[in-house]
Amino acid sequence: MSSAEFAQIAVNAILLSGILALVALGFSLVWGIMNIVNLAHGAFVVLGAYFTFYLNELAGVDPFVSIPLSMVTLFIIGFIVQRVLINQVVRAPLLATFLLTFGLEILIVNLVNYFFKADLRSVTTRYSGTGWTVGVVRVPYIRLAALGIALVLVALTAWFLRATRQGRAIRATGMDIDAARLTGVKVGTIYSLTYAIGAALAGAAGSLLSMIVPFDPNIGGPYTQRAFVISVLGGLGEVANVVLGALLYAFVDVFVGARLPELSQAFTFAALVILLVLRPEGIAGKKFYA
Amino acid sequence: MVASGGNGTAEVLLEARQISKRFGGLAALQGIDLKIFRGEILGVIGPNGAGKTTFVNCISGLDKPTSGEILFKGVDITKMPSYAIGRLGLARTFQVVKPLKQLTVRDNVAVGAMFGAKGATRTTAQARAYAEEILERIGLQHRKGHKAAELTLPDLKRLELAKALAMNPELLFLDEVMAGLNQTEIERAMELIRGVNRSGITLFVIEHVMKAIMGISDRVVVLHFGKKIAEGNPQEVIEKPEVVEAYLGERFAKRVRGERKSP
Amino acid sequence: MPERKLSRRQVIAAASILVLLVALLFVPKFRSEYELLNYTRFLILALMAQGWNLIGGYTGYAAFGNVAFFGIGAYTTGLLMISKWAVPFFPAMFCGAILAALVAVVIGLPVLRLKGHYFAIATLGVAEATREIADTWDSVTQGSTGIDLPVRSEGEFFYYSALALVVLGVIATALLVRSKLGYAWVAIREDQDAARMLGINTTPLKVLAFALSAVFAALAGGLTAYQNIHVTPGDFFKLEYTLQMIIATIIGGSGTIFGPVLGAGVYQLLSTYVWTKFIELHPTVLGLIIIFFIIFAPRGLMSLVSEGLKVVRGQKRFRWQGLLANVRAHRVT
Repeated sequence: MSSAEFAQIAVNAILLSGILALVALGFSLVWGIMNIVNLAHGAFVVLGAYFTFYLNELAGVDPFVSIPLSMVTLFIIGFIVQRVLINQVVRAPLLATFLLTFGLEILIVNLVNYFFKADLRSVTTRYSGTGWTVGVVRVPYIRLAALGIALVLVALTAWFLRATRQGRAIRATGMDIDAARLTGVKVGTIYSLTYAIGAALAGAAGSLLSMIVPFDPNIGGPYTQRAFVISVLGGLGEVANVVLGALLYAFVDVFVGARLPELSQAFTFAALVILLVLRPEGIAGKKFYA
Repeated sequence: MVASGGNGTAEVLLEARQISKRFGGLAALQGIDLKIFRGEILGVIGPNGAGKTTFVNCISGLDKPTSGEILFKGVDITKMPSYAIGRLGLARTFQVVKPLKQLTVRDNVAVGAMFGAKGATRTTAQARAYAEEILERIGLQHRKGHKAAELTLPDLKRLELAKALAMNPELLFLDEVMAGLNQTEIERAMELIRGVNRSGITLFVIEHVMKAIMGISDRVVVLHFGKKIAEGNPQEVIEKPEVVEAYLGERFAKRVRGERKSP
Repeated sequence: MPERKLSRRQVIAAASILVLLVALLFVPKFRSEYELLNYTRFLILALMAQGWNLIGGYTGYAAFGNVAFFGIGAYTTGLLMISKWAVPFFPAMFCGAILAALVAVVIGLPVLRLKGHYFAIATLGVAEATREIADTWDSVTQGSTGIDLPVRSEGEFFYYSALALVVLGVIATALLVRSKLGYAWVAIREDQDAARMLGINTTPLKVLAFALSAVFAALAGGLTAYQNIHVTPGDFFKLEYTLQMIIATIIGGSGTIFGPVLGAGVYQLLSTYVWTKFIELHPTVLGLIIIFFIIFAPRGLMSLVSEGLKVVRGQKRFRWQGLLANVRAHRVT
């Protein structure tokens, strides 16, 4: 491939990695702290996307402005879902939580399908399609902004986990639930909080995606898969690792996508299996809560 | 009691040569040399973290030593997978018991009988019958139909032992089987262990309960920070200053030396 | 695992199964073509579920990609039948099963080293990857347009074939599960390290369970392919099939001999009912059903049945709390 193609691919990868990091962060947080592989994570991304779309369509709200609203809405939804459903199986064997979150995903996606229909949607604004041309490379403004916002949210989450009482309580619960309880942490609330944060981050990612790609109710699944791979790549302990994992994944994904788009899943799967067999701790992280 | 070879010297059942195990930067075991003689009860003591369980893990195949060799009945088992070692006649219990929860007590033990040293010669029915015999000896037959998940801790400990015995081992590693037991239960456990030894099984017993170790061991080995610091007759070993110091600290050891009495 | 002598309870159980079997034999006589289709679907689902039960239920490895074997069975059967050798159906289906088993062995060896979540997602990836390969390997599979098998439309043929396979499956499961292999599988599920310590060579046995589950899925795939006539990657590598076989097993009782068949029956019943009432919201309702079962009856109907029998026999008292016991056990407060 030419160097121009390569440069564009590299830029695309970097731009994509922001959103991937956002999606993966919420997912790996829930996995790391609660040991729940949330197969409904992608559904929350979809919800975020539709939320932004309809807010824009019906009320003319600028998609960027809708992001905080989307996050709050998804936070509430996530909180309720955890309290009512997920909490019932938190300590159950893996298959139970897997199937439960899967059932949840089916439910949400089908409801979205029913109410909003399956046509491809996209949020277009005055500034869609505008971009910056640097030499041979094109950098769309929206994608750049999305990258920026994603990174800001990731950094905010990292700060929250480190510096606030609730955030530290979350990390403590993830490390040793009994010790955390002994120090007065209300584990049930922490779990709901964690799941809600995960959903909010997914919602934000969905909102960003709505401006960038055409979407329908089914885009969630592949994002859950990507979140899984990135979480494994980066390990479940540190936020920074998730970002690294996302970057790495984005590069591989974009690169393979440019050459062999039809076999991207096969490739991802093969890479994942090789990685897991060789190094279950992921590329950088410790096997913290796995 | 120790079995002797033809010319009066004891037969070496297991020999560990220069066993070392590192976990990253931590040396859990450093150059351990140990011989276990057929027929004996070898007691193993040492403060927490001394490497006792790590040692058993390396020998039984759950883990592999970073360097060194292990010979069992003359066969090099250093790199053998644990199931093969089990079939050769080496069994172990786990400090944190590992029952097969959804199986009945009888079936738990039957699994050992099916896949252990004599497993190939048994059908499932024969294995279950043998399991009942073992449960009878151990005193668990009244719970044979219950699921393992329903057992109390002392019963779980006995189940752990029964499973290992069902494998017809020649050498059995017991890892803190008495932890969490009260005085009466400890006495019974000691009797049980002596009985197992009398039936011809060589034992390697890790224990913290001093009374038990002193009461049943032919020889005692002391591990500390991954090294073997003493070995020999139980009474002599525990009076050694290095041993006292390892357990009770230097100040106390000095006091002991000063008084020339054991605490 | 029951005693050697036949108790009265076992005689009754055997008798009821026999009655059921005879009833099933007569279904085509008393049911319309359309209803027969549903019964056949139930049997095919039962077949897949029985296979899944071996690796997921008994051995404890929740495979999430067995539809890959279903598709492999379908394509192999189809391609052999329309090839220049015009292989007849049953041998073709048999070859499909063998191929699926081989693939399962090759994939299983690395993937079964993984645990829990990782294994599940890896197998999910296998299914997706296989679908993609079927989609892109135009020269062999005709890509996304798919292939067409010779036409055969007597519903009875498919029904009785499926029934025969399910019965064989039950017998095979019963024999396997009562042998040393069955004990080994359960030991692996309960505690793999303990299993190894007890002398069980876990790797080949896990792979065997996986390969057997592939055989069942492939047979189901071959049968479905012949019945459907048209085979495409999109239709035959659907995640839904994996879900159905897992849910059927769970509903019926994973790790039991009859659970998968029972669960498949219940699932098919629910599914048909829901389809007619809620066509568009069909997946939603199914999702709710899954959620309901996972929370309130994760051990499946077989365990509810055995608990219920205990109540009937007076060995246990019936308390409403019993239903909630499972929920309480797994909650976090």
